[in-house]
Amino acid sequence: MSFESVIAQARTEGRTLLNEVEAKSLLKDAGVNVATTTLATSAAEAQAQADAAGYPVVLKVVSPDIAHKSDVGGVKLNLKDRDAVAAAYDEIVANSKKAVANARIAGVAVQHMAPQGTEVIVGMTTDPQFGPVLMFGLGGIMVEVLKDVSFRLVPLAEKDADQMIGEIKGRPVLEGVRGQPASDIKALKDTILKVSAFVEKHPEVRELDLNPVFAYPDGAMAVDARIVISES
Amino acid sequence: MAVPGHRLDRMFNPEVVAVLGDKGPGYMWLHNNLPFKDKGGRLYSVQLDDKEIPGIEALGVQNFKSMADIPEPIDYALVAVPRQVSPYVLKDLIANKANGAGFFTSGFAETGEELGVKLQAQLTEMAREARFNLVGPNCMGLYLPKAGVRFSADAPVAGDGRVGFLSQSGTHGIMFSLVSAANGIHLSRCASFGNAIVLDVSDYLEYLMLDDETEVIGMYVEGVKDGRRFFDTLREACKRKPVIVWKGGQTEAGARATMSHTGSLAAPQAVWDGMMRQCGAITTNNLDETIDTLKMLLNARRPRGNGMALLAQTGGQSVSITDAFAKAGLRVPRFSDATYTELGEFFNIVGGSYQNPLDMAGTIQGSMDTLDRILRIIDADPNIDAMAMELSAMFAARQWKGKPETLDRTIETLAAHKERSQKPFLVILHPAHEAEYVASIQPKFHAAGIPLYQSFERAAAAFARVLAYEHR
Repeated sequence: MSFESVIAQARTEGRTLLNEVEAKSLLKDAGVNVATTTLATSAAEAQAQADAAGYPVVLKVVSPDIAHKSDVGGVKLNLKDRDAVAAAYDEIVANSKKAVANARIAGVAVQHMAPQGTEVIVGMTTDPQFGPVLMFGLGGIMVEVLKDVSFRLVPLAEKDADQMIGEIKGRPVLEGVRGQPASDIKALKDTILKVSAFVEKHPEVRELDLNPVFAYPDGAMAVDARIVISES
Repeated sequence: MAVPGHRLDRMFNPEVVAVLGDKGPGYMWLHNNLPFKDKGGRLYSVQLDDKEIPGIEALGVQNFKSMADIPEPIDYALVAVPRQVSPYVLKDLIANKANGAGFFTSGFAETGEELGVKLQAQLTEMAREARFNLVGPNCMGLYLPKAGVRFSADAPVAGDGRVGFLSQSGTHGIMFSLVSAANGIHLSRCASFGNAIVLDVSDYLEYLMLDDETEVIGMYVEGVKDGRRFFDTLREACKRKPVIVWKGGQTEAGARATMSHTGSLAAPQAVWDGMMRQCGAITTNNLDETIDTLKMLLNARRPRGNGMALLAQTGGQSVSITDAFAKAGLRVPRFSDATYTELGEFFNIVGGSYQNPLDMAGTIQGSMDTLDRILRIIDADPNIDAMAMELSAMFAARQWKGKPETLDRTIETLAAHKERSQKPFLVILHPAHEAEYVASIQPKFHAAGIPLYQSFERAAAAFARVLAYEHR
């Protein structure tokens, strides 16, 4: 899927929100390390994709009408074999249809369940005055409650990515606390810079969220991704 | 020095200035600009009200009833006419081939009224089409000390200014000019630009960035029209000279206030913070922090590291100065062994200490030779990057008043050290119980080029800001 074809497809369907599979594929092309995610449109397809991805897997509903997937029972984690995948597929589709009447369901996203890392988020919004702005922070409660995030305008230089990571108050968490290993700062920096370059190259992107990104002692991986494009 | 070819060059270096619509009995704007005439500039007035003309001519200013009669193009005009008349005045200014004008006139979009909004749109369109440099409206216009163009009759007209200042607020522009003068800081060029309907902060910033007379730039800004352009201009300016940005409306409540003040839309403060750091700007939160930072930038060597030597007069203050600098993120390292050995030869440790911080009044006992000896020893210490020293008005004011030469000798000793040393040197003189007297002697310190602070915290904050700038 090229950037242009994904955008064209979304616009044809009147969508500004790219689905998870589309968003991840574009980011992967841009060099961002994302959890490989494929779209299954039947239980059998989901099983085949799960075999290829490697167990355990995660299944998530892909629907333009469902924003909060877990709230509707549209997410199944830690599926360990083919039978569990088939059952989860059917359940997700049924749950989603039940929760949102007439929901358009493109299918179910299948991905290998990435091992837990330190959660961070990398986001981008378009400020009316300053244009594309990148955000970095620790995931979960740190961003939601403490608003412990840093901002820079796109495009970022390497120094900016360094400072963005360095100036959050929760920075010591990335050094490794309470027996946790230190996170790979270089990989986080690389993620930020790749997102900056992607956004700079594609002004159609209005919003972007990699939430969460798992930071590991060696590398980092975006396990969920969301992209909003401009209307035309 | 001018910036030849820049679109703002004529108005920033005026030879012909006109005041339009000034009125008695005060004739504020003509009085503000009389120094321009005294310095040889050609100052004109335009006023068609017969009863105002004698008062204008009594000031020695030539008045014209129509702008068309002014015999030459105006470089800078100050417009103080009622808002309904302003489009006609702008038309005349464009016909005169004037370079620019500050519109003191207010009552435009900032009021939210239909007429104000409409008049502002009209001025904007006319000025843009003619590429006319409209400053404001709803502002105090330009303050050009060397040329003698002013927005306040209290502002000095010194020709040696090194600081350029930009202000979205007229009050902050004037206040900054006067308070910096009181602190021995002179301005090169200053613009109060209010609603910024044609020229925005980026236009002025670009000029100050290119202006050789401006060594440091400061600004008070509430919002910008074109954020991307501001980002690009600020980033470029910060590569050439230090730029201090004092951002107004940092809180939600403050941001609401900027809406009614200058109609500025607020980007989140966190985005501003990131943007300013990305550019390498120095950020401040108020007037005092801005002035404090300027003192350090103009009058101290640039810091290389954060190892402070702290020289207090007494024990309690040695603790307070240490807390203040440590809280600002600075180190107070141990001196080298050589320093301890040298200080140990003469330091009076009864009621004193030559750890870092120093508690030294009991050793100095009023001897400037001893103070000089201490300053030289600390200066040579490789563990030390910068020095901050307390002077105590509480103990010394009586002596300084009785024998003013002792104050002069103190200042000479400190100034000689400052010149000799390659390390930043800051002096703290708390007003204590002698506020009036201390205020009276501050100019002596300013004249000697010593960065003088009223509290440990303010000195520490200024130092930390400039250090962060050096390590940006």
